[in-house]
Amino acid sequence: MAVETMTVEVATASAMGLKALGAGLAVGLTGIATAIAEMTIGPAAVGATAENKDMFGMALLFTVIPETIVIFGLVVALLLLF
Amino acid sequence: MADVSTRLAPYVYVCTRMRVRKAKLLPREDYLRMLNMSLTEITRFIEETEYKSEIDELGSSFSGIDLVEVALSWNLAKEYQKILEITPGALHLFTQSYLRRWDIQNFLTILRGKHQGVAAGRIKEVLIPAGKLDREFLDRLLTEDSVERITEAMRGKRLYPVLERELPGALETKSFARLENELYKGFYSELLSDVKSGVKGGSVFLAYIRLEIDFMNVRNLFRLRSGAVEGDIRDLMIPDGSFSIDELQRIAVIENAGDFIDEIQKKAGLKSITGLLEDLRNHRPIHEIEIELTRFMLAEMERLSKRYPVSICPILVYLEKKKYEVQNLRALARGKESNLPAERIKSYLVV
Repeated sequence: MAVETMTVEVATASAMGLKALGAGLAVGLTGIATAIAEMTIGPAAVGATAENKDMFGMALLFTVIPETIVIFGLVVALLLLF
Repeated sequence: MADVSTRLAPYVYVCTRMRVRKAKLLPREDYLRMLNMSLTEITRFIEETEYKSEIDELGSSFSGIDLVEVALSWNLAKEYQKILEITPGALHLFTQSYLRRWDIQNFLTILRGKHQGVAAGRIKEVLIPAGKLDREFLDRLLTEDSVERITEAMRGKRLYPVLERELPGALETKSFARLENELYKGFYSELLSDVKSGVKGGSVFLAYIRLEIDFMNVRNLFRLRSGAVEGDIRDLMIPDGSFSIDELQRIAVIENAGDFIDEIQKKAGLKSITGLLEDLRNHRPIHEIEIELTRFMLAEMERLSKRYPVSICPILVYLEKKKYEVQNLRALARGKESNLPAERIKSYLVV
């Protein structure tokens, strides 16, 4: 009986562990993807702003657009965990 | 990943800055508006653009056409120096090599000015210290009295071997034309050897330089034709373009204008020029042909810069377009000062 209880606990724990791992991967990988996407947008935005200060707002907007990818990852992670 | 980002980011940064600067250049409508203005109005108009600081700074020392001339030269030099400051790595190397052409122009201006006995102050007004020879060095050259002493002061510079070889002949014939040709040929051969030295991104730069050499050779062919120059023209052509020197010689001696244009059209590398050459079949003045060719060259370079958006091309296109903007403004100001009709001035503008 004791052995059976232990097995259910282990199974629950490992299911939780896998969920946590999945959530971690979802945030981590999408974070890397966002970084790659922003890698070229960032310098371009800084360059454009350096030449024309009025572009700051637009440049900032373009720079944060790839942030949506990591937000999707975060949403998936939250759905997995709760 | 860090390696990729550290290499790519500065390229993107500089190329974007160049694109924004290019977008700030004067549009066609502004030139058309300036055609109907007087010299004073033109000065006031360009004071409201990127040339403001130079016009303000020089306003107390110069006036009229001199003010425009000096302000334009200063602005161009400042712009080029600024670009050199912000370009990183291989881009800096290429830009510096490309801007060395201004050394030749400045040196020849000093040489010609001194030879004609022009005052050092007047020569200084038209110098554009955008290359390796900086303002201090050019000032030092200006203090020298004779052509020989100026040449001697260049000892140790890249131009010196060609100068040493060609100057006696130039002084004998009292013409610096051959010396100028040789200097530019030397410049292009050095440029090509820099490009082929294996620096990353060199192949795009090579394509750009080849395009420029082709256009210069074609332009020279048209010039020789309009000047009815016959005989051996091999010395006047720049090697290493799409055309070999022998091919250029063969084309130069073709008498019929139609056949002459056909021969240029046959060249695979210059396919895009076909439409333009068709247009040139009608007899037009040489300066119009040159302007058309320049316009076309700029469009081709622009196309190249779009094909390779993160390369040396956007920088070079900006350098060229800026140069022609300054030339246009100078032509406008000079034309207005000489009371030329607007239509005549317009035919000299590259817009």
